[in-house]
Amino acid sequence: MLRSLFANCRTATLGVAATAIISATPAHAQEQPLIIARHLEINSLDPSRAFCDTCQIYLSSTYQGLVALGADNKSIEPQLAESWEVNDDQTVFTFMLSPDAVFSDGSPVEAKDVKWSFERLKNLKADASFMMSLVKSIETPDEKTVVVTMESPNSEFLGVLTAPYTGIVNSDVASEAGASAAEDAATADTAESWFQANSAGSGPYMLKSYAPDDELRFVRNEKFWGEKPAIAEIVIDETADAVSQAQALQSGAADIAMQIDPDTSKTIASPDLTLETVPSYNFIYVMFSPGAEGNKVPLTKEVRQALAYAIDYEGLIQFTVGGEGKPQASPIPNGFPGTADLPMPVEDLEKAKAMLAEAGLADGFELDAPVAQLNVYGVDLVLLMQKIQQDLARVNVKLNIQPVASAVWREQVAKPGAPFSARFYAPDYFGSAQYVQFFGMVPDSFWLTRASQGKEDLLNQKEAELLGKALAAPDAERETIYRDIALEMIDDRIIIPVVSPNLVLAHRNDVAGVRYSACCNLPLAELSRK
Amino acid sequence: MIGYVAKRLITMPLLLLGVITVAFLLSHFTNADPLTSIVGERQMGNQAVVQAAKERWGLDRSLPEQYLIYLKNLLTGDFGVSFRTKQPVSQDLLARLPATLELVIAAMLVGAVTGVTLGVMAANFRDRLTDHFARLFALVGSSIPVFWSGLILLYIFSVSLGWLPGPGRLNPRIEAPPFVTGFYTVDSLIAGDWSKFVDAATHLILPALALGWTVTGIVSRMVRGSMLDVLQQDFITAARAKGASRMRILLNHALRNAFLPTLTILGFSFAYLITGAILTETIFSWPGIGSYAVAAARGLDHPAIIGVTIVGGAAFLLANLATDLAYLAVDPRVRLGGQSER
Repeated sequence: MLRSLFANCRTATLGVAATAIISATPAHAQEQPLIIARHLEINSLDPSRAFCDTCQIYLSSTYQGLVALGADNKSIEPQLAESWEVNDDQTVFTFMLSPDAVFSDGSPVEAKDVKWSFERLKNLKADASFMMSLVKSIETPDEKTVVVTMESPNSEFLGVLTAPYTGIVNSDVASEAGASAAEDAATADTAESWFQANSAGSGPYMLKSYAPDDELRFVRNEKFWGEKPAIAEIVIDETADAVSQAQALQSGAADIAMQIDPDTSKTIASPDLTLETVPSYNFIYVMFSPGAEGNKVPLTKEVRQALAYAIDYEGLIQFTVGGEGKPQASPIPNGFPGTADLPMPVEDLEKAKAMLAEAGLADGFELDAPVAQLNVYGVDLVLLMQKIQQDLARVNVKLNIQPVASAVWREQVAKPGAPFSARFYAPDYFGSAQYVQFFGMVPDSFWLTRASQGKEDLLNQKEAELLGKALAAPDAERETIYRDIALEMIDDRIIIPVVSPNLVLAHRNDVAGVRYSACCNLPLAELSRK
Repeated sequence: MIGYVAKRLITMPLLLLGVITVAFLLSHFTNADPLTSIVGERQMGNQAVVQAAKERWGLDRSLPEQYLIYLKNLLTGDFGVSFRTKQPVSQDLLARLPATLELVIAAMLVGAVTGVTLGVMAANFRDRLTDHFARLFALVGSSIPVFWSGLILLYIFSVSLGWLPGPGRLNPRIEAPPFVTGFYTVDSLIAGDWSKFVDAATHLILPALALGWTVTGIVSRMVRGSMLDVLQQDFITAARAKGASRMRILLNHALRNAFLPTLTILGFSFAYLITGAILTETIFSWPGIGSYAVAAARGLDHPAIIGVTIVGGAAFLLANLATDLAYLAVDPRVRLGGQSER
């Protein structure tokens, strides 16, 4: 009730005023600021240090990459590079830059800017630096040609380059502000504060102002070398939760609400609004850590499989997102390479009981489950865990749910490990290797370390070999290899995806161009007013 | 007088040093590693990234080293850089302090004016309906948590009646006025932008009422009690005997003498309002120091947490000093050094 009350209050009169402004000046609609209600949660506006969902929107609007993800969320299209070539073994990528491309200050985008941006991204050793980890060298034979050589085959590199974190920065301007691409950039670079107040890209928008926890304001780049965006000014206004965002939208205080969950969307009934539910690539998963200190019985593959059979997947999707979601087979999201026709997880209580009996655990056992107190993509992780607690109780497994702050969870999972928990994931770009490198039982993967805690041998050699093959394979062969990897990851039974929640695209009827992008969330340049 | 102020100002840094030390130690002895809020989840297993982050933020140094470096930087006005906003904490605080001060000053005005008015009325109409109403109003104001009264006010005046805007300092479609004082009401007037002033002022009303109400209760009870005491004094009888009007007796004689304890309460209230602003700012999405403190605590942002603590401590000490000085100005009987004369 409090939440709803607060939400109602947050926007009521603002909305009246806002609506009045809009309706008063229809002829200048495109010049009116467009308001997006969203929880900002920005970790940085520095293109090489940023790593967050809102950062994806910001960076893809103010900077441009060599290539871009198409509207189908799969194809790769030219952006700053008008063409490119890849050698047969996927180790050398040659890009030819568009002769017309200019930064927001009017200076041309040159090969040196690309080399500088990629080297800075790598040398800052920040969150997105892994995207350049396989880059061996970058050559610039002339002002408009860039040759990137990889240390080992990397068929996913073009996909990586669609991620907004690989946007090209005006190196002259940024260097003057203290930015460095040198090997010691991690300590020598002093430009982050500057980037919090300025942008230096070639994108359709520029940063106008940023007030942390308040608003992020964009202004149209009047020197943009492509088709100019329709809306002159866009504001992402800090609006913390789904209910507040819905109210802001209904009252007219906001034109677009970005994080309305399926449950909240059902409470909205207004002829002035458009609500569209689309599948997303985001997903929630549960995971086992056989190496965690808190395990009371050995979490063998058979035990993990038994527990996976005990989960009521359909009921869980109903319970968490009111049915507005889809099951997901493997840790590679539905629709990504290698996921067609994978076997979906099924509930089989009898099988679960039989497998536990075979493991000598028919009387059940206790399982500790620390979980972060978060609501992501409309799913409350603690509530989700409570549903699973009920499911596992049917096979005599007592789940001890321990809700903790997210930062505490992250520490706990790193060491001593969480026997069982739940988490979420969203893609950085379109490509399956990122999921294998994060969730797979392959060397250096995030979850191999955390699940094994250095005690259990969970390494899946076959998975690692298949990943190497996929990264060296041409387009036509990758689908099959990733499918084999996905089947291996399902068989690992470390990561069990439970729901891929649908996304609600909510906006006022007079706004056009709202769509979900796998790399960039919401492409601002496509927005306009009818 | 000057010596007294100087003495107080000299001891202030020592007191602040204590505040800083305690804040520093407390924030470093929490159970969570601040690195988890600096480095993304995916890279926490990457030793190169973790090490680079530790070096960049000075977390690779021992705690005493970090403390000494912090103190040394503080002497030059460097509060460090926020882990979360990536901006100097001093810059963050300066950007947000005007928002909090504008709210607190408005709340203080609400609390003082309504509190004194109700207190005088209650004393004048002792044990009558006005007194009972004032008591009820004071009781409710002192008892209801500010987050609750804030929600109720929002519901009534913003959602139901639509008379006043909801949370925020300004309509998001409107840009902030050019920075002069950081007070949107003042800056929009300086800029000659009347519509922006109206928008800023109307946004200020509800949070100021919610926050000020807590002070209204305390002040009105204090004024009432002091007034009733003073009204029993011989000089009041003398004034009556001389034929002074009731209003003159109330305002010129009784209120002036009853004002001293009220002044103390108002002084303390200022510091109280700054801390109370944390909840009010959260409810009203007011981008001030309070909401900054909440976000800093959630994000394990040590530099910001300590920065806010220093500002809060300094505000408390300065409010105390201002109260003492106001005592001197208002009551000629009070003399420094603990002596008084009649």
